[in-house]
Order: sequence, then structure tokens, then C-alpha cells
Amino acid sequence: MPDWMVEATGLVKTYQRRDGSTVAAVQGIDLHIRRGEIFSLLGPNGAGKTTTIAMISGLIAPTRGDAKIGGHSITREPLAAKRLMGVVPQEIALYLELSARQNLEFFGRLYGLSGRELGRRVDEVLDFIDLTERQRDRLDTFSGGMKRRVNIGVGLLHRPQMVYMDEPTVGIDPQNRRRILDTVKRLRDEYSLTILYTTHLMEEAQELSDQVAIVDQGRIIARGSQGELTQQVGEQDRLIFTVGQQKVEEALLRRIEQSAEGVTRALYDAPAVGDADGAATAGTITVFARRGRRALPGIILAINDASLEIGSVEVREPDLEAVFLHLTGRALRD
Amino acid sequence: MRHIFTIARHDLQVFFADRANWFGLVLMPIMLTLIVGGAFGGGSGELRLRVDVVDQDGSPAAADLVAAIGRANPTLYFCPQQATADRFNCEIAVDKPLDVATAQERVRRGDTNALIVIPAGYGAALQTFQPLTIAYYSLADVTTGDIVAAALDAAIAQVNGAVVAAQVGGTVGDTFHRGATAANPSIFRDAADRQAFTQQVAARADALLQAQPLTVTYTIAQLRPQERPLVTTQGFGQSVPGMGSMFVMFTVLGMLPIINKERKQWTLQRLVTLPLRPAVILGGKVLALFTLGMIQFAIVFGVGVAIGTDFGSAPAAILLVMLAFTLCITALTIALATRIRSEDQANGLSFLLAMVLAPIGGAWWPFEIMPEVMQMIGRLSPVSWAMEGFRQVIFFGGGLAEVLPGVGVLLAAAAVFFIIGVRGFRYE
Repeated sequence: MPDWMVEATGLVKTYQRRDGSTVAAVQGIDLHIRRGEIFSLLGPNGAGKTTTIAMISGLIAPTRGDAKIGGHSITREPLAAKRLMGVVPQEIALYLELSARQNLEFFGRLYGLSGRELGRRVDEVLDFIDLTERQRDRLDTFSGGMKRRVNIGVGLLHRPQMVYMDEPTVGIDPQNRRRILDTVKRLRDEYSLTILYTTHLMEEAQELSDQVAIVDQGRIIARGSQGELTQQVGEQDRLIFTVGQQKVEEALLRRIEQSAEGVTRALYDAPAVGDADGAATAGTITVFARRGRRALPGIILAINDASLEIGSVEVREPDLEAVFLHLTGRALRD
Repeated sequence: MRHIFTIARHDLQVFFADRANWFGLVLMPIMLTLIVGGAFGGGSGELRLRVDVVDQDGSPAAADLVAAIGRANPTLYFCPQQATADRFNCEIAVDKPLDVATAQERVRRGDTNALIVIPAGYGAALQTFQPLTIAYYSLADVTTGDIVAAALDAAIAQVNGAVVAAQVGGTVGDTFHRGATAANPSIFRDAADRQAFTQQVAARADALLQAQPLTVTYTIAQLRPQERPLVTTQGFGQSVPGMGSMFVMFTVLGMLPIINKERKQWTLQRLVTLPLRPAVILGGKVLALFTLGMIQFAIVFGVGVAIGTDFGSAPAAILLVMLAFTLCITALTIALATRIRSEDQANGLSFLLAMVLAPIGGAWWPFEIMPEVMQMIGRLSPVSWAMEGFRQVIFFGGGLAEVLPGVGVLLAAAAVFFIIGVRGFRYE
């Protein structure tokens, strides 16, 4: 029988709206995470990842179901379960008026550390997150990436057996993001920590995960290793054509599916005004095809016949993004 | 318990790390205490005993009697005759005259040392030498002496002395009249002439009696035993507890936005994910709020001590009122935290509550000078119960027994607020 670090069964969380109706944020999630592995919950914003973590970490009570951490029920033995885990929330849950060291010492004391032991652990964590030099500076003088590192450090102070990390790279620059991803891998490889990692970024899940669960609308729609998940898409490549602001008719998608060689599915992602500058994202046609490069001429012909101008073409090997798109018909960023 | 102290100490550390908080905790209360206390006469003046005088006659003779009592004991302070325009020093409601029933109640409550009622017709009776009774009310122990009664006795002796002299003068005149001859006619032309003569004798006798060389000097000791008589209200005796109570509300209720900010920045939720019971987290927050409130009281009362304000002789009673009031405001803050949704809402509500509950509770001026309707409304404010306790000790020589009713009300309110707060407190 596997040595599960986390066993969650039938987790449900519903909220009551002001009008009396209920909304289900999580609709029955089962999770089994082995010791020493990185398990990613991958899904778009609002899929239910954070609510799932909040229930497993004991922040909110599940409406139904339970989770065991190292064999301790989070609903019946919350203190024993919480002693085994460190939590790294998506928010910078720190006191910005205080220094990095003061923050770490405060949370360390609440984890039951004191005296020399507390000082030693704080020093270790500061060294691990590479902030020893800045330990006496107030956090409100830190960059976003440095705050994120302290945020992670707090979750490691008491040497937990597992760590929850809820989108720990949100809002930081690529250099700091790289640093955090390397930190996560070090925690598994050097300290044998179990890590439950949530993200909406396919690249992060692909790079880090031993196991992935894809979450959408409060349910797990697929789970397994990356290889197992991409097999669901088959050996299909993904061909992405950008078509700018031009209107794409449903008939064109059907024609691509019928006429081009090896094509199994064609989807259209309409352009949208996205960023703060009002710049429009380009519309894209995504085509799943076996041996994608061979299908390429037929697809280009069909698009040209529809009098559409192709901005760029990209051919991608099967990945988690493709799995999500395949399963839901929507991109992860939706 | 150790974790409760850790959380409380940490919250205080965060509070003091923000230098803007020092302004509200230290500078503002000190400035306002000194300004408001100074505006109400400060606290360095001579202490005087308050005596209510209901003058139903309104004649110059009645005013002379009050003056005579004052001369007999210059430490007496007559209300409303010597009341300031705002009636602060007498603590009389501004919206109605002082009548006998109200004054009797003030004597009974200990708001004033004694009541003297000068009846209507007093002046006329003196002129016609008719007997008249002046009513005197006091709770003073007759076996240990009553210095107000002694002063009244002295004044009445003076008036009676003048009356007796006038009557003697009239009688001597009459004797001369009975022995009148054509060569030596009566000294009085008629009855009116006689009346004028006797009044002149009375006035002269009164003047001579006023100029008696032997007088007694009364001085009220600054430090008195438990049975201290009521003295006139001093500015700092009012402003220190008043501003102290108001700034405790500003400081403790002012933490409402910070509780909300903790939710928003997720530090509160992070505490929940630690191996701590929710009661420990809330206990730490409560202890921090309570400690801040007591620090605020210590700062304002410390200023009062530094400028020499007399806070009475029952420091334990003062401390008990501080503890009960701070606990009540702490509980109110926790109860309100269950309903607050945004930082702006928290800021507005805490400011509004402090600015309303302080004045209607008597933090800015004595509760008794407010109109009756406002006094009834003011009882809803915890400040009124705290101020009642403070005033009992500072002005009326009260001790633990006198502050217990107010403390009881504050603790009962605290219990209700805590039940609401603990049941409804949201961590996420």
C-alpha cells in the first residue's frame, strides 16, 4: 500500500449566496499524494485550486469530505495535521512593517520554536532563501520576488513534512520566478519534502510535477504523470495559427477538420481586449492533428480560401495545455 | 497561553513600527488633554467646597446672606450664584434653573456638600423683624462637625445680631419717646421715621459685625482621607479621564481597519494554518487591543500626574474603572470586526463611534451639565459609566464601592460584545 502523505476524499465546498442559492466552489475532489513528490493542481483561475488547498490546510472546513495529512484528519485532529505542514499562500502573508527576521521569528515561535533553536532555524531559512544580508531590513523595502522568498521561508521554518504552495510565482519577474522554481525542486530533491503546488501556468506544472491533477469548475478532470496525461491527447500535435482580429466562421473550422490530413479537431479562440493598454490579443485557430507538419499545407490552404491572413504558425508537441484544451475546449488562460 | 502572549506582543510590535500611530497614541491625547483641561480652568486653582443655594427670595438681603456665609468660610463655592457661564464648575444642567428638588437630589448623590434654601419673603421679614426659617440640607455627620453649617450659623448670627441691635435701637428710641416733653420732643417724627432709624442701626451693626477682628481661616487640604468633601470641579480632573477614555476608543477601535487589513493581506488566514486553536489567535488579538488601551490610559493619566492633577485617594478604584472600560471597548471592537467588510468602512465606523460616544458620555464636559434628554441617551455610551466611576473617585472622594456599579455595567456590556465577537469572528 502506498505511503500517502495526503489523502483527500470527497472534498466538497459550497457557499451560500445572499439570495439563498448555493454555489459549489469544489464539487467532490479526491487527492492522493505520495511522500516526497511534487503534486501540481493545474487549472485556470477560479477552478477551485485555492479552495481545495484551503480545505486541506485547515483554513476552511469542508462542506463534505475529509483530508488526512500524514494519517491525521484535518477536521478531527487539526493541530496534529497542521504540525506536519507548511503553507505558502498566494498572497504575501507577511507583516511588511517588520524585517524579514522579525517575521520569521514570529511565525517560528508560533510553530513552537524558541531560544537558540529558533535562532538557528531562522538563520537556516534565511540562508536557504538567500536573504541573510537583508534580514534586518523592513519587508516594505523588498522587491516582489524577495517578499515571495520570505513567504516561502515562513512555511519551511518548522521543517514540515509537506508544503502547500499556492501559485507562489504570481506577479514576479522571470529571474525571481526561475529562482523560486529551483527552490521548489531543491525542497523535493535535497529535503525530500512533499509539495502540493497549484498553478495556472502549464510550463510550471510541466517543469516541476511528478503528478498533475487538472482542475476545472471544482472538479478534477484528469490526473496522472505528464506522460499519462498527454497520452490522453494521443500523439497529436497542436498547430496554432494567429489570425489577428479577423472573423473566423464555424464553417471554416469544420472544413479544416474534414479536409486536412490527420486533423481531429479545430478550435477558434477569439481575439479579446486584454491588457491595461487596451492592446488586443490576436485570434487563434488551434488544430489538433496526428503528424501535424504533414497536415500543415491543407490547413493553410483552407484558411487562405476563407480569405484570412495568417499572422504566424506554431507547431507544438503534446503538452498539458493541449490536454486541458482537449478536455475542456478552452485555453488555460480563459 | 505562551502563544497568546506571542501574538499580542507581535501585534504591539507591528503597531509601534508604524510611526504614524505614535502621533495618535501620544501626541494628540496629550495636546487635547492639556487644551481641554486648560479651557475648563486647569487644575492648579484653590480647592473649594461646593454648596447649592436656592434663593427663592431674590432680594438684596438674600444676596447679602450668601455673601455673609462666604465671608464666614471663603472656601465655600455657591451654586448657581458663582457658576461660570457654561455652569461647568457647578455641574448644573444648562437647560433649567436649580430648584429645591434637584438640589436635594444633588446633596443625596454627593454632587454638592449642602443645600441652603432662602425662602421667599426673606428680605421683607428682615425689614419687619419677622421670624423666618432657612432650610439647610446636608449628609454631613453632625457628630463630627459640618463646616458649611458652621459658616451658615456664623452668617445667621451676624444677621440676627444686626436685627437685635436694630430692635434694641428702636426700643431705646421708644423709651426716649415716652419721656418726651414740649421742650424735648420725641426723636422719631412718626412710625416711618422710627422704621428708618432701626434699619440704619441694623445696617451699621451689620457693618460692624462684618468688620470683626476675629475670624477663622479655612483651608481644604489637598490630600484628604476617604471622607473627603466634594470640591469644585477642576479642569484637568475632568479632561484627563475624559480625553483618556476618548483616546482609548480611538486607539482600540482604530485597530478595526488593521484587523480587516490582516484578513486582506492574508496574515490572519496564515495564523489559522498554523497549529494553533482559533481561541488562541483571537485571545492574542484581544490581549493586544486591551494592552494598547491600557497604555493609552497610562499616557494620559501620566500627563495628569505630571501636571499635578489630584486624582483622589483611591488609585485601585481608578485602575478598576480603566480595566473595565478598556475591556468593554476591546470587546466592542471584536464584535464590530465580525461585520466589517472593508478598510474604509472600518476607518469610518471607528472614528464615528469615538466621536459620538465620547461627548455624549461626558468625556468632553461633565455629564451633569448636559440636558436631561442627552443624559438619558448618554447612558448608552460606555464612556458615561467610566466617567461616572472616575468622577466618584476624583471629585467625590469615592473608593472601590462607589465605582462598582459603573464597572458592573461595563463588564456586562463587555461580556455581551465578546459573545457576539467570538461567535461571529471571521478568520478568512
